[in-house]
Amino acid sequence: MSGRPLRTFAVLGFATTHTALAAEQLLRDLGVPVTPIPAPASIGNGLCGIALRLEPGDVERADTLLERAELRVAARGDIEDV
Amino acid sequence: MPASSSPRPVAYLDHGATSWPKPEQVVHAVTRALTDLGGNPGRGAYAMALAASRAIFESRRTCAELLGVPDSSDLIFQPSCTAGCNLMLKGTLKPGDRVVVGSMEHNAVARPLEHLARTGIEVVVVQGDRTGLVDPDDVEREVRAAPTRAVVCQHASNLTGTIQLIGDLADIAHEHGALMLVDGAQGAGHVDVDIGVLGVDAYATSGHKGMLGPQGVGLLYLSPDLDVRTQVEGGTGGGGSESPDMPIERPDRYEAGTANTPGIVGLGAGAAFLIAEGARQHRRETELVYQLIEGISQIEGFRVLGPPAGAPRVPIVSAVHERLEADRIAFALDRTYGIAARAGLHCAPWAHRTIGTVDCGAVRLGVGWGNTSEHIGLALRALREIVTS
Ligand SMILES: Cc1ncc(COP(=O)(O)O)c(C=O)c1O
Repeated sequence: MSGRPLRTFAVLGFATTHTALAAEQLLRDLGVPVTPIPAPASIGNGLCGIALRLEPGDVERADTLLERAELRVAARGDIEDV
Repeated sequence: MPASSSPRPVAYLDHGATSWPKPEQVVHAVTRALTDLGGNPGRGAYAMALAASRAIFESRRTCAELLGVPDSSDLIFQPSCTAGCNLMLKGTLKPGDRVVVGSMEHNAVARPLEHLARTGIEVVVVQGDRTGLVDPDDVEREVRAAPTRAVVCQHASNLTGTIQLIGDLADIAHEHGALMLVDGAQGAGHVDVDIGVLGVDAYATSGHKGMLGPQGVGLLYLSPDLDVRTQVEGGTGGGGSESPDMPIERPDRYEAGTANTPGIVGLGAGAAFLIAEGARQHRRETELVYQLIEGISQIEGFRVLGPPAGAPRVPIVSAVHERLEADRIAFALDRTYGIAARAGLHCAPWAHRTIGTVDCGAVRLGVGWGNTSEHIGLALRALREIVTS
């Protein structure tokens, strides 16, 4: 095993796959890199299966953009790099 | 006899039932869904499931763009227009409600309403005229007469091609606090549909007719403020699985069960095709329909149903002959000339009763994408020969 320290990412969860994919498209189009991942159980339930992983430093901008587009973030949390 | 043993017709004139052939883009999209998008959409986040989810997301957006739906999550995929009509009616009406409905409805609306009438819903039918048009003044008179929960009307008739005055009916419904619920099976894809402008509360349509998608898929628009009770509950994927209730968010609320990815993706390709080509296609359909109506009217013994030549209609032309039964005409068209057309009541006994053809039925020629002036010429020549032989 390498001794590389685990990085922490922010995770945004959504109620529907439709909203998750709309958010992914919007953020990518506006230059916020995101990666779709299986929604981690740790961020909550009642979510769709896809969550978006992003750099903690991008969360504030992502929140602003999503709010403006009326795309609701249903849950949030952190995840360690896998 | 048809030129070969292939069941493919020489001229396909049954677009009212389903469109054929499909644009190449639709065939490719369906094939790609089966070869490359095989994961279960909305159920996993691995690459192939994600690709399927994305394709459905894109299809929904494209369909919303074509139909003028502001927020695509209000556009629900259904297995058919019939399923959409059932959800729109059974999910909004409850015992004690009163519904005013036009008399030209297809069984996709008529039968659910007949069923609901037995559960204590009052169904008031407003007669259309001989051309199939439901007069908004007649509807208003009925809506005024007693508190009404909904006005229900088709966008266009699958028998006469008559285009109903949906915008006017929606205004009347809303003036009196009623909902406007529309069966758009014969509208979408054949006429410009801008749901935002029509101002309806729900609009169901087929994916496989004018929208040019494959069979097994339909669409239902629900206005954002309309509270519709679910009619099918089940899995929607995701992490809310432990909840006993369906999610409240659209579209998932109304899309329990694995989606029909090939159908939905094919429908999206059909919608994209129509965004690019729809205006040209509508013009061509109008010309062919004019040629067809003029031609049939000149054959002795035929009477064309619906609006007169040149008046607005969707590309459906039905006719009756004074001597020959419709089924014999359709059989001869197929067997002798390889022309696909449909006879009978077209799942629309209400409509046939309205225009006085319930006892004899009619032969229906439905024009659509892929048809040419030669097809119409062949059909006219065949009809002439059939009635003179
Ligand atoms: C006016 C009308 N409504 C509803 C339907 C039902 O459509 P589907 O068979 O796709 O459910 C049809 C199909 O023939 C139709 O013509």
